[in-house]
Amino acid sequence: MMTRSIRRRLMLLVLASVTIVWAVTLITSYRQAEHEVGEWDNGRLEQAAGTLLVVDSANLKKLAEVGFIGSDDDDSRRIHTEETSRELQFEVRAADGQLLASTPKVPLTLGADALVGTSRSGAYTLEVDGHHWNTYTLHSSVTGRSARIFERVGGRSNLTSDVSRRIARPLAAALPVLALLIWFGISRSFAPLALVSREIGARGADKLDPIEVQQVPDEIRPLIDALNKLLDRLMKSFLRERAFTSDAAHELKTPLAAIKVQAQVALAAQDAVEQRLAMQRVVEAVDRSSHLAQQLLVLARLDETSLTELSSVAMNTIARNCIASRQASGLPSGVALSLVQNSLMSAQADPTLLQILIDNLLDNALKYGSCNGLIEVAIFQEQLNPVLSVRDNGHGVALADRVRLGDRFFRVLGNRESGSGLGLSIVTRIATVFGAHVRYTPGIGGKGLAVTVSFPSAGSRGESFEQADTPRHFDKPGES
Amino acid sequence: MRVLLVEDDDLIGSGVEAGLRQAGFAVDWARDGHAAALALDTTEYELVVLDLGLPKLSGTDLLKGLRARRNDTPVLILTARDSVPDRVSGLAAGADDYLGKPFDLTELVARCRALLRRAHGRSVEQIYYGELQVDPAAFTVTRLGHNVALTGRECTILVELLTHQGQPLSRARLEESLYGWQEEIESNAIEVHISNLRKKLGASVIRTIRGVGYVVDKL
Repeated sequence: MMTRSIRRRLMLLVLASVTIVWAVTLITSYRQAEHEVGEWDNGRLEQAAGTLLVVDSANLKKLAEVGFIGSDDDDSRRIHTEETSRELQFEVRAADGQLLASTPKVPLTLGADALVGTSRSGAYTLEVDGHHWNTYTLHSSVTGRSARIFERVGGRSNLTSDVSRRIARPLAAALPVLALLIWFGISRSFAPLALVSREIGARGADKLDPIEVQQVPDEIRPLIDALNKLLDRLMKSFLRERAFTSDAAHELKTPLAAIKVQAQVALAAQDAVEQRLAMQRVVEAVDRSSHLAQQLLVLARLDETSLTELSSVAMNTIARNCIASRQASGLPSGVALSLVQNSLMSAQADPTLLQILIDNLLDNALKYGSCNGLIEVAIFQEQLNPVLSVRDNGHGVALADRVRLGDRFFRVLGNRESGSGLGLSIVTRIATVFGAHVRYTPGIGGKGLAVTVSFPSAGSRGESFEQADTPRHFDKPGES
Repeated sequence: MRVLLVEDDDLIGSGVEAGLRQAGFAVDWARDGHAAALALDTTEYELVVLDLGLPKLSGTDLLKGLRARRNDTPVLILTARDSVPDRVSGLAAGADDYLGKPFDLTELVARCRALLRRAHGRSVEQIYYGELQVDPAAFTVTRLGHNVALTGRECTILVELLTHQGQPLSRARLEESLYGWQEEIESNAIEVHISNLRKKLGASVIRTIRGVGYVVDKL
C-alpha cells in the first residue's frame, strides 16, 4: 500500500516488520519447544513402561485400578489436575499375549497379538475411535512381558501451546504501546520539517533571502541547500529584471525630455525658422523613442519565446534579403554594403529571428561605421560551425568596452549616435536562442568592429547553448 | 547672463540651448565633461546647467572638481536619474538645484533665474535702482513708473551692470554676457548699446572708466 504520508508509511513499515519478526520468532520457538516436549514425553512414557515391566502382578492390578501418572514432575502434576486426559492408560501382557493388567480406558480394538514380538516396540501414534493416542511399547527380554502406555494426544501438546500463549499474550499487548512510541518518535523526528515549512510558508513573494534554520537534520539539509540555491537564482533574476525595468524607464525618459523641451522651444519661438527646426527635432525624438520601444518589445518577445522551434535556415538567402532591403531604402552616401563571402551555409535557426539579428548588426555597422565606410557581411564555415560575420572599418570599440557590448543599454560613451543601447543585446539574446556564440573583434583591416556569430555545428547544439546562456550583465553605463 | 550647458544628448541639448537663449541667456553648450571643464577654466559663467551621464568625465566628478577649485558658480543638475538618493548625492556633491528629466522648460528657466538672483543677493526678480525698476525675466524697465522701451541686448547689458554695482565691467566681459560660442559678435556693438541706454535712461546712470570699462555706481 502506497500512502503519501511518510509518517504513516514509516509507522506501517516498522509495525509490520516488528509483527512479522515476532511471529516468525514465535513460530520457530513453538516448533522447537514442541520437538523438545515430544522427546521429553517419549522419555517419560518409556520410563513409565519400564516401571510397569518390573512391577509384580498383584501391584499391577492395583495400579490399574487407581490409575497411573507418568511423571512426578511438579508442573505436569499441576497440569494433570486441570486436564484429566493426561492420565496414562496401560496394558501389560505376558509373553504369550495374555493380558495381565489394563486400565479401564485402554482402547480395546487392539488385538492381543499386537503386543507380541519385538517388531512394534517403541513410540507410535494410533488412531482409535477418532482419538489420537501416543503409545509406547516396551518388551522385557527377561520376563517376556510387554507393557504398552497410552496417552491421549490432545493432552500432550497442551504444554507447548500453553507456554506459547503465555509468551505471545504480552507481546500482542505490547504492540499498541510500541505503535504509540514509534508514532511519537517519528513525529519528533519530523519536527524540523514542520519548522522549515513554517519558515517557507511565512515568506512573502519578495522575500528571497536564504532560508536560515538551525539544527536541520542531515536528510533535510540537501533540500534546504537546493531551495537556497533556487532562491539565490530567483533573487538574481529578480534584481536583473528590476534593474532592466528601471534602465528602460530611464532610457525612455531621455527622448521624452527631448520631445518636451523641443516642443516648448517651438511654442516660444519668435521666428519661423527656429520653430521649424524645433518641430523637426520633436519628430526626431519621437522616432527615437518609438525605436527604443520597438527594441524593448523585441527583447520582451524574445524572453517569451525562448523555446522557438528551430529549423535549417539558409543564411545567405536571409543575409541577401536584409542587404537588399537596406540598399532599396537608401544607404548613407559613400557607404558600401556587400556580401563578400557567400557560402551556401545553413544553420539551425528561426528565419524571422535571424533577420532581426542581421538587421541589428547592419544598423550598428551603419551607425558606428565611418562616413565613407565599408560594411561587409560574410558567411563561411569555421571548424564545422556555420559562421555569420558583419564587419566595418569605422572607429571600432576599445577592448575594455567590447566585453560590455552585449549588455542592455550599454553605449560606448562619447559616441554621438542616438542608439537605444539594445541592438547588440538583442543580437546576443537571439544568438542564445540559436545556441550560437557572439564574438567581437577588430573589423576590416584592423579598423572598426567585426561581430561574428558562430552557430553550433549540427549535433552539438546542447553544449554550446549552455555556454551562451551565461547571465547577462546589467551594469549601468552611467546616468544620463 | 552667460550660462554653460553641459549635455551629451543632441536633442535635449539643442532644446535647452534654444530655450535658454529665448529667455535671454547667452549659452555655451559643452557636449562632454572635458569640454565643460575646459570652458569653466577659461570663461566666467553665471550658471552651469549640468547633465550627470557625460562621456569622458562624469557630471558628478566635474562638479566635485569645480567645487574643489573654490568655484562658487551656481550649478543646476539636469538628469534622468532623479530618485531621492540621486538628488541627495547630487546636492551633496555641490549642486544648488536638481531637476529630473523630462522637465518643463519654463520651470528650468525659472529655476535658473532663481539661482542667479540668489547668487546676486536678491530675493525677488526685480532690480530697483534709483528711479529705475528692471525686471530681467520680463525684459521690462520702468523709470518713475513709465515704461522705457529697451531691446533685449540693451536690457541684458543693463542687468549685467546693475547686478555688479560699483564693479567696472570691461567691454569683453559685457560681450561675453551677450553672445554664446556660436554667435557672431558685432564690432562696436557694446558702445552702440551703451550710448542707446544713456539716451533712454539718462547719461548719469552708466559711467565710463577709461581703459577699464563701464560701471553703475552703488547708490
